[in-house]
Amino acid sequence: MSAPVSPDTRRAWRAARTPVAIVLLVVLAGVVLALVRGGDDRALDPRSYGPGGAHALARLLDGQGVGVEPVFRADEAAAAGGTLLVTRPDLVRPERLAALARQAASVVLVEPSEETLRAVAPALDATGPLNERVRQPGCALPAAVEAGSVVLGGTGYDGGQSCYGGGLARDGDVTVLGGAGPLSNAALADEGNAALAMRLLGEHERLVWYIPSAGDPGLRAGEESLYGLLPSGWVFGAVQAGIAIVLLALWRARRLGPVVTEPLPVVVRAAETVEGRARLYRRAGAADHAAEALRRAARERLLPLLGLPPDAEPQAAATAIGHRAGRHPAQVGALLYGPPPTGDSALVELADALDALENEAGQ
Amino acid sequence: MALTGRAGLLALAGALVVGLLLPHWTGVLVVSGVVLAGVLADLLLAGSVRRLGFSRSGATAVRLGEEAEVTLRVRNPGRRAVRGTLRDAWPPSASARTGRQPIDVPQGQARQIVTVLRPTRRGDRRASRVTVRATGPLGLAARQGSHEVPWTVRALPPFHSRRHLPGRLDRLRELDGRSAALVRGQGTEFDSLREYVAGDDVRSIDWRATARAADVMVRTWRPERDRHVVLVLDTGRTAAGRVGDGTRLDAAMDAALLLAALASRAGDRVDLLAYDRQVRASVQGAPAGSLLPALVEAMAPLEPALVESDARGMVGEVLRRTRRRSLVVLVTGLDPAPIEQGLLPVLPSLTARHRLLLAAVADPVVAEMARGRGDAEAVYGAAAAERTLAERRHVTALLGRHGAEVVDAVPEELSPALADRYLALKAAGRL
Repeated sequence: MSAPVSPDTRRAWRAARTPVAIVLLVVLAGVVLALVRGGDDRALDPRSYGPGGAHALARLLDGQGVGVEPVFRADEAAAAGGTLLVTRPDLVRPERLAALARQAASVVLVEPSEETLRAVAPALDATGPLNERVRQPGCALPAAVEAGSVVLGGTGYDGGQSCYGGGLARDGDVTVLGGAGPLSNAALADEGNAALAMRLLGEHERLVWYIPSAGDPGLRAGEESLYGLLPSGWVFGAVQAGIAIVLLALWRARRLGPVVTEPLPVVVRAAETVEGRARLYRRAGAADHAAEALRRAARERLLPLLGLPPDAEPQAAATAIGHRAGRHPAQVGALLYGPPPTGDSALVELADALDALENEAGQ
Repeated sequence: MALTGRAGLLALAGALVVGLLLPHWTGVLVVSGVVLAGVLADLLLAGSVRRLGFSRSGATAVRLGEEAEVTLRVRNPGRRAVRGTLRDAWPPSASARTGRQPIDVPQGQARQIVTVLRPTRRGDRRASRVTVRATGPLGLAARQGSHEVPWTVRALPPFHSRRHLPGRLDRLRELDGRSAALVRGQGTEFDSLREYVAGDDVRSIDWRATARAADVMVRTWRPERDRHVVLVLDTGRTAAGRVGDGTRLDAAMDAALLLAALASRAGDRVDLLAYDRQVRASVQGAPAGSLLPALVEAMAPLEPALVESDARGMVGEVLRRTRRRSLVVLVTGLDPAPIEQGLLPVLPSLTARHRLLLAAVADPVVAEMARGRGDAEAVYGAAAAERTLAERRHVTALLGRHGAEVVDAVPEELSPALADRYLALKAAGRL
């Protein structure tokens, strides 16, 4: 009587193995790609090949015998006797940054804010935004003079030794760069960008390349607060919640048997052709055709009342109908056999006049 | 298999455990392991769906608009009880009211589940699969499986015009000899001789029989009996048009059923033929007692086909089936093109041997449009409708000249109008 039709384990596996293989392949390819590429694409990362990265500059410095050490945490960024580059100094607590700056032989900060400058280089002030364009040194700083013109923009500074219209400023050991442009892969080859970057960063044998990142204890309190407010286990809790959501989705997605389909008969409204013909009349403005149809229908209703054949002579029919309705035969003749109306309003009037005649004749 | 909402909620509660007590990957692993163990235990301990046995019983036919009950018997020969949900799936137009029900079948026992159907369309409704989801003891996961349990419920034509039948049967009895015994005229045939009683018409005295007998004998008459009526339904494209709530074919079936009921009570034999380009349904030589069931059974699965009907083939089929002179009732459309090009050329061969009555379903919307006045749109609609009506009158006149009678009525009035025309033909003895 009944037969089970659900797939058994073997059939389920046969149906599922291709999708499973595809998913595995995608995951595997993703892992391999991640391993091959390595690193990430953060701005001014010495390992990044992206336009905003700085792998080209790191290679150049390496070729000149400068040891580049990329670091991501403040406690590893001690650069005794070397150069310290801080790519995003505003993320680091100012006092922590000042301490790091005191240890290093020279410091390069990329686009620091006024607040950071007060702690690290009090002689310098941020003046405001600076257009990115080709700028001339305009100062006596050896690095700038030798590099010549560069493409620079971002934030302007004054105080200390100010070059490039404020795009570069130096106070003691601290050099402030108004924008990341000259160091990036994308703009390194423009004008004297490379020369300026090499001279600023290659001053000492050792270069500590500090990229403040999430999870760095040296970051500002404001940057930490989002993580600090949550319980320490929230990441794992979120992972578990994600698993729960997947399970709930599986619960809702599983249907109780397949959807049942059925072929439905094609059904068209029978009056559709009539309506279509009415719209055609209207669009074509065929008042003459419409009037003829109405007149013919009226004649076919009126003539049998008078015992006349449908194809009676117009003259005789008009006389008989006029007599019956108490109207002048010429008027009836014009109504039933007259010239076609011109325009829609005349047609509407004709229809009403035919109705009136039929009423009078029918009484 | 299928998961339940409880598995998801357990994992969600686990998120709190992981976040607050075990904030590490081990925590995620422990909680997920617990959920997974529960799911596996449920899958192992749930009753087997695959081994369930099903059988059906109950209604196989239902008149459209009424309810039918189909009983599904679930037998559990397995070693564990099956608890969970059962879905008895039917096509949407079967309108199964109780499609999804909780079940609990202990081991070695059986349960019955009643599915109530109320079909919304005529025709065969086949049961789809029966799907069972058997939940495990923890309620975290379920085994799920489907079984094919074939069953068909046929939705029969509703026969709304039944209410017209008693009135027409009264008229039939008036025609019958019991009501008007001695009236001789067209449409009557000799019934018997009986003794004269006071009040009988003296014109009906049979003098020759009186001479042979001791008493005065009179002849009695009765209407013609044992005539042949062939109902032909055109299921081509003109039958597909929707008029009012149903298609033209629905109205045609209703009219045919009323006529068949009336004719079989009048002692005539009724055959049915449904045709478009081939024979779609056929009832031949059914005894009077089982005629109506046979007709509705044959009509139930009919659907209009979107093809031009083959009038030549249809007429040929009618001629092939009926040798005796019959009343052929053809229910079709009155559109000029199919009639003039299809039916008219072959009409003489049909009317030469049979009496043809052509019934057509008119559309009340067209009459409504013909009365439209007031603005240009309504008047153009009226003109188009008048044109259509004029074409129908033209076709009717054309058919009349070829010896066919036409009944053209809106769906509600077609059945009584056709029945009345049949009674008029019978009274006039023109069958």
